[in-house]
Amino acid sequence: MSQPTTLQPLAASATLDAPRTGNWDGGNEPFKASYGKLMMWFFLLSDAFTFAAFLTTYGMIRHKHEVFTGEAKDFVFSTRWWPIPDHVFNAFPGMGEANVPLGFVALMTMILILSSVTMVLAVEAGHRMDKADVQKWLLWTILFGATFLASQAWEWGHFINGHAEPTIMADGTKFFGANLQMNQYGPVLFADLFFFITGFHGTHVFSGVCLLVWCFIATTNGTFEKRGHYEMIEKIGLYWHFVDLVWVFVFTFFYLV
Amino acid sequence: MASQATTEHTLAPGEIAKPNTAWIWKIFGVLVAITAIEFVFVFLMHPSTLRNSIFIGLTILKAFFIVAEFMHLKHETKGLIWTIMVPVTLLVWLLIALITEGSFMGEVLQNMFK
Repeated sequence: MSQPTTLQPLAASATLDAPRTGNWDGGNEPFKASYGKLMMWFFLLSDAFTFAAFLTTYGMIRHKHEVFTGEAKDFVFSTRWWPIPDHVFNAFPGMGEANVPLGFVALMTMILILSSVTMVLAVEAGHRMDKADVQKWLLWTILFGATFLASQAWEWGHFINGHAEPTIMADGTKFFGANLQMNQYGPVLFADLFFFITGFHGTHVFSGVCLLVWCFIATTNGTFEKRGHYEMIEKIGLYWHFVDLVWVFVFTFFYLV
Repeated sequence: MASQATTEHTLAPGEIAKPNTAWIWKIFGVLVAITAIEFVFVFLMHPSTLRNSIFIGLTILKAFFIVAEFMHLKHETKGLIWTIMVPVTLLVWLLIALITEGSFMGEVLQNMFK
């Protein structure tokens, strides 16, 4: 009698006796993460390219410029050398001309790290399907995010309006603050990079706050409750942590080093 | 989340599990501590290559805690971890390469007329 089909030569037609179940054979999630989450990761990777381009540009231009070699107390602003950050960023809201080196940026860093923590707390509450907790932690995150944006607006305002000691120009005129063409702190590119890097980061924070407000409205309307999961909070959370992560690097390269 | 608690009793309909947030606050404490250490170095050490290396090292440590725990990457599959980490490593290479290039350009420009 005829042989069972499994023993026939494969040439005629390739049929499978059992479905393929390998990791990459389809029908499953090889990375054990949903489509939306994976795409958020890939978006963040591409965004990391953008920020890396900014920071690489900053590093290269800074190393191209002269370094101030004297004692820190003798430092004066000059277009000859790159400014020392704690001489530029030393003002605190409501304290006038008091010298608080890096004080305000330390506060801003704490606010952003704290907002990251409240974001994880919102994600954790989402895992437990705890609508009230999700709302609470989202509101805290929105509050900290908005506070950070307001702080940055103040920081920009102070940077643009300038310090008490102006730069004396070659023709004897005084110049305060900064714009894209000139600034009192150092080389032109110092202010340009400040505006572009912190501005681009601030735009990300602003987008993040908008997304969080939308998330809060959807949570309040019960959209995620009906959907059966709070994965949207996790995806927005990934974005929010990334913005915090970028600030960690901006903080080091712009303010500390 | 390795520390994700498996609730012993099954939840009744409408019941909400207890929050499990100790690990989150622990990592917050670590991030605050690292930032505080950075500030100690800003004020107690003169600027030098060593100080900058300390800052960059601490920054990478902070980044590790944010990405691994807050963004949960440590607990994802190996494939996803590699997918994210390999391109990022190349970015670090680019950064180092162009900073070196910048130093060289500066040297050439500053010594051009000497």
